[in-house]
Amino acid sequence: MTVRHRLIAAASISLLAAGLLAGCSSGSSGGSTSFSKNASGTLKAWAFDNADDVGKARLAYAKSHLHGVSIDLDQTTFDAQKFTTRVASGNVPDVVQMDAQFVATYAAQGLITPLDKCYQAHHVSAASTFYQSVKDDVSYDGHIWAVPQFYQPPAIILNTRVMDKAGVTPADINTSKPDQLISAIKKMYVANGDKPVTMGFDPVASGQPGLWLLGYGGQIIDSSGKPTLNDSKNVKGLQVLKRIYDAQGGYAADKSFTDTFDTFGKKNQFVKDQVGAQVDNQWYVNVLTPYIKQVQISAVPFYSSDGKPFTVTSGTAFVIPSAAKNKDAACAWALSLDSMGAWKAAGAARAKTLKATPGAVDTGLFTGSPKADAYIHKTYVKPTGNAGFDKTIETYYDVVGNGKSIGTSPAGQQIQTELQNALQSTLLGSKSPSAALKDAQSAAMNAYRQAVKNATPSK
Amino acid sequence: MSRAESLHAAAPAARRRTGRARRQSTSAQQPPGNRRSSLRRKEAIAGYLFISPWIIGFLVFTAGSMIYSLVISFTNYNLATGTTTPIGAANYAQLFQDPKIAQSLGNTLYYAVLAVPLEVIVALGLALILNKVGRGSGFFRTVFYLPKMTPVVATASVFLLLLNGNTGAINEFLGFFGIQGPQWLVDPRWVIPSIVIMTLWGVSGTMVIFLAALNNVPHDLYEVASLDGAGPVRQFFRITVPMISGAIFFNVIVLTIAAFQVFDQAYLLFWRDQTSASPSSSLFYAVYLFQQAFRQFDFGFASAMAWLLFLIIMAITLIQVKVGNRFVYYESEH
Repeated sequence: MTVRHRLIAAASISLLAAGLLAGCSSGSSGGSTSFSKNASGTLKAWAFDNADDVGKARLAYAKSHLHGVSIDLDQTTFDAQKFTTRVASGNVPDVVQMDAQFVATYAAQGLITPLDKCYQAHHVSAASTFYQSVKDDVSYDGHIWAVPQFYQPPAIILNTRVMDKAGVTPADINTSKPDQLISAIKKMYVANGDKPVTMGFDPVASGQPGLWLLGYGGQIIDSSGKPTLNDSKNVKGLQVLKRIYDAQGGYAADKSFTDTFDTFGKKNQFVKDQVGAQVDNQWYVNVLTPYIKQVQISAVPFYSSDGKPFTVTSGTAFVIPSAAKNKDAACAWALSLDSMGAWKAAGAARAKTLKATPGAVDTGLFTGSPKADAYIHKTYVKPTGNAGFDKTIETYYDVVGNGKSIGTSPAGQQIQTELQNALQSTLLGSKSPSAALKDAQSAAMNAYRQAVKNATPSK
Repeated sequence: MSRAESLHAAAPAARRRTGRARRQSTSAQQPPGNRRSSLRRKEAIAGYLFISPWIIGFLVFTAGSMIYSLVISFTNYNLATGTTTPIGAANYAQLFQDPKIAQSLGNTLYYAVLAVPLEVIVALGLALILNKVGRGSGFFRTVFYLPKMTPVVATASVFLLLLNGNTGAINEFLGFFGIQGPQWLVDPRWVIPSIVIMTLWGVSGTMVIFLAALNNVPHDLYEVASLDGAGPVRQFFRITVPMISGAIFFNVIVLTIAAFQVFDQAYLLFWRDQTSASPSSSLFYAVYLFQQAFRQFDFGFASAMAWLLFLIIMAITLIQVKVGNRFVYYESEH
């Protein structure tokens, strides 16, 4: 191989990166945003990847209510790169399921269509159907852009076996009283040398930064979509997190410890007593139900700095791409999947599944709709005979109405990334909370300005 | 001439003698000028035939995309409408205003400086060991090559456990020697070294090239050196290294290019899941480029980033070629 050939080879390899990007070429158009109730034709749906008993029941319900619509379902998981490529090539699905936190970014770029008229066409009121915070999660620039589903709030699951041994009570695990909380954490913390064996409290900082910042009165994104990471009240949340980790070996050791948890397995952190308490989303109670005899749990809400139960919203949502060819069917399908009838069918299907499973526990479904949640709670969630488990299930039902949206922004994902950077720097001690948040705000504002520069929402 | 120098000169001299003998036997049959040009033409045709799949693939799948990438790097590309708005060199100007460009380039450069020499050393070491294996060499070659066949996702999952700061096998191993290992994946100072360790797992592709080069080193050179009293270390530096310098040079260039494009390892360990901690020390240039394209949908800026990377790699490759050629032994040039 001559020098010239080698140079050509080198150049071509590096150009591949550029080439891959440019692979997305011919475009698609925004299209109309009006909707009709009359759905027909073929519906191409993508990323409905949760077709368990609940999912199948909802799919069956929606299919039975969409007469004359043929549904072509691609159940692979949502992937931003794949979505982008499909948009660029004009091969766009009619409806897509994605994480609710992505919705504003896609909306700002004009990649998805607003659904205000979709709701209107089907006489569905988003305000009365969903929790306000859930609706806020998919609202941007005065419009609603998605049909949200599943809102499984975070709360604190207690390992009462560890707590009892250390002489800690549920009342001690109170996030509105950091001094009391940290004292309890120290009592429960067990280490082998400098390696944690039992963490008093796993606050899941990197997974739940919004809970900690908003819970202490802070703000991540303002109503216009701008990042507000340098909000002075955000400092408090980071300070408390730093104190929590420092009280039990420090963030680095704790992070490495939690990375080893068999979270979904039979040797999970509650079975093995690796945590005294942990922030968990509601779905984790379902993970623990097979181990009801091996764990000893209860739960308390996360309390905001003013002492009130507090939680933050999350979940997934159905969006309709701007270039979708069958928007009417997409709208009808998404709303049908999220209707009271679909959730009733889902609740019944779950109950049927659990009835066939000896010792199974129905923890309920957290749908994003207060009416559906209340119906399923009342109809299917019964006492298990395990007071701690019952208390855990009820705690999540108690907090679900106290949720707050983290906020929506065209640069939502980059703002979250910068928040993670601030969190890391603070918890590892390389920056003070205020300095870390200031730097993060500067980077997040750059991302925001860039996103706004490119924004062309479809209306 | 010292003993060492005479050994160093022995390798190319022996090859020259062999080549000369071959040429002399051919020249007895045809006029030298015609035969040489005919042979060269045949060699050129064969060469182009061998690389034609690559050329066709490049023209069909890459060249057009590259040109389009260059075009949109001077525009604001709207994915939703498929339209482009010319903005001159604004995307290139932004490269100098965005602090994350310098940060991600710095991280990438640090990774390249660590990874490339280590990959060459480890791959060459493995190739030397395999080259010595007699019986069962095919089995061992397969075993050594298996990591290259393992999906990066699976490798990343394993390395998340191996590199765990509290209970990982690497720190347990260090503990036998009384060394307290670092928090590899959490401490920002150790994030890049941990990615380098993961990269070394897939070094067998480079190893195979070294193995092929080692197989081509004539054994008579070692025999001569051995008779002259040269030990294994001297033989390695005075015969092996000069004789495989072409392979070393090729691997250094290819590995450097790959290092500047590193993406998979960092993305899988730190950036795939948005709720996991993603230290800024793991923000490689290709990861940031990906974020600009597929999170921010700023394809114009992402394309400008890709072209900047191309220019940087091209410049580094040119320097490597200029400097490296002085130390490389090419059989065809002797």
